[in-house]
Amino acid sequence: MSASIYSRSLQFWMTVTVAILSGILVPDVLSQEAVDFFRQNCISCHTIGGGRLTGPDLKDVSKRAEREWLTKFIIDPRGVVESGDRYANQLKEEARGVVMPPFPGMTPQRAQALLDLIDAESKLEKSQFQGVKISERPFTAEDVILGKKIFTGAVSLKNGGTSCIACHSVQGLGGFGGGGLAPDLTTVMERYGGRKTLSTWLTAPATPTMQSLFKEHPIDAEEVLPLVAYFQNTLQRNPEDPSTARLNFVLVGLGGTLLMLAMFDIIWNKRLKTVRRALVREKRMEAVHE
Amino acid sequence: MISTGPFFLDQIFFIVFPYVAVIIFLLVSIRRYRTEAFTFSSLSSQFLENQHHFWGLVPFHFGIITVLAGHLIAFLIPREVLAWNSHPLRLYILEGSAFVAALLTMVGLVSIITRRLTDPKVKKVTSWADWIVFASFVIQILSGLYVAVFHSWGSSWFASLATPYLWSLVTLNPDIKFVTAMPWMVKLHIVSAWLMIAFAPFTRLVHILVVPNPYLWRKPQVVRWYAAWKSLRKV
Repeated sequence: MSASIYSRSLQFWMTVTVAILSGILVPDVLSQEAVDFFRQNCISCHTIGGGRLTGPDLKDVSKRAEREWLTKFIIDPRGVVESGDRYANQLKEEARGVVMPPFPGMTPQRAQALLDLIDAESKLEKSQFQGVKISERPFTAEDVILGKKIFTGAVSLKNGGTSCIACHSVQGLGGFGGGGLAPDLTTVMERYGGRKTLSTWLTAPATPTMQSLFKEHPIDAEEVLPLVAYFQNTLQRNPEDPSTARLNFVLVGLGGTLLMLAMFDIIWNKRLKTVRRALVREKRMEAVHE
Repeated sequence: MISTGPFFLDQIFFIVFPYVAVIIFLLVSIRRYRTEAFTFSSLSSQFLENQHHFWGLVPFHFGIITVLAGHLIAFLIPREVLAWNSHPLRLYILEGSAFVAALLTMVGLVSIITRRLTDPKVKKVTSWADWIVFASFVIQILSGLYVAVFHSWGSSWFASLATPYLWSLVTLNPDIKFVTAMPWMVKLHIVSAWLMIAFAPFTRLVHILVVPNPYLWRKPQVVRWYAAWKSLRKV
């Protein structure tokens, strides 16, 4: 009997605790999570009330589309675009063909929390997400030189990020050029629509691979400026045809391979071919001489 | 932990596959070592043919050991690899050497396969498991070569992307965000590596676990192995 009373009172207090937690704590946790998420993932392309960047200004986005549609789009943007959805394709066109990247771990709950955050921020006179402050000082020749050094890794990124050359190339790097994993950046400034958009994007790059590299090692504002200066400079060049650099690389590789094969032949000159066959040859020679 | 949506397949390939592969590798290797210890070898066929063999065995092993060591180094000391690569010339030297090693592996592999197909005695002792090993090496090395040429510079981005992904698996906290947006050839290279690990304990690849290191510098010697290859005597 007493056990049953004990268990009931435990049940009661647990219910109360859960109610309190879900009533107070969880929305707070969710909204704080949404703020952090927005800062890490969204501000590279979106503002709330600060005008369009790569993606549209999200102020009052809930008035432009149904919540259900927005949730679906946030979870799988490419899926919605490819389903032929008219509004999604209009958005893609307005973003010069850039489709929002999907985010691993995005759930309907998280999408809802993000939309709640955007709605709340939309009501404010001045949202905290009005846009990152970008320096407008004119680029100098030194900026371009420093930008190139940051690109190739000769000057390392302050916060430990990987240098651009690991995955990207630009026209005129020399040698075997830059990396081929990711797009050539010769005309990136044009693709991203100018200094402000590109600079903002670089402060919190949001494509999946860039984000996984730079979320914990962000590019400093003082590094963004010379990089963008460099990309403005490379705009005058034509995007590189990477095939020559690749062909040179392959040819050097083939040359090295032949060299190694020749070395193996020399090092193991006395391999087994010289045991039985040499004896037979010797015997034959002896026979001839006799 | 596995969710549906745009990342469903990625989760299967990059979370489920590696764990299943490693578990199979460990369990089957141990079981085979305890029950069929005498099959725990490379099952050398050098005794049956040793001229052509040299041009398969030597380039293949020097190539593959160098390439695997490269992957292992970038996994263990990524920061040092990136520091080395911070000058383009050094980056090109590292990438060039790795590429030569991969080509040597390919030369060795082609040579091994030709030998298995053309020499009647060697062909007789070649099992279906061997053919799967050869086929998976062809996929693995061709995709690796393709990545080296068309998705360069792997030595740098492996250290920045593949290393954190692999460590996330080791620490049982899998994080696939580093690999979800990779080109499909890179994904193929990774998935086929997991499949090879899973299949290795069923094949001659187990010799990796019992390799005598002096292989690399000792004088050549003849290796013989005995099995009930009755059919071989007729060749």
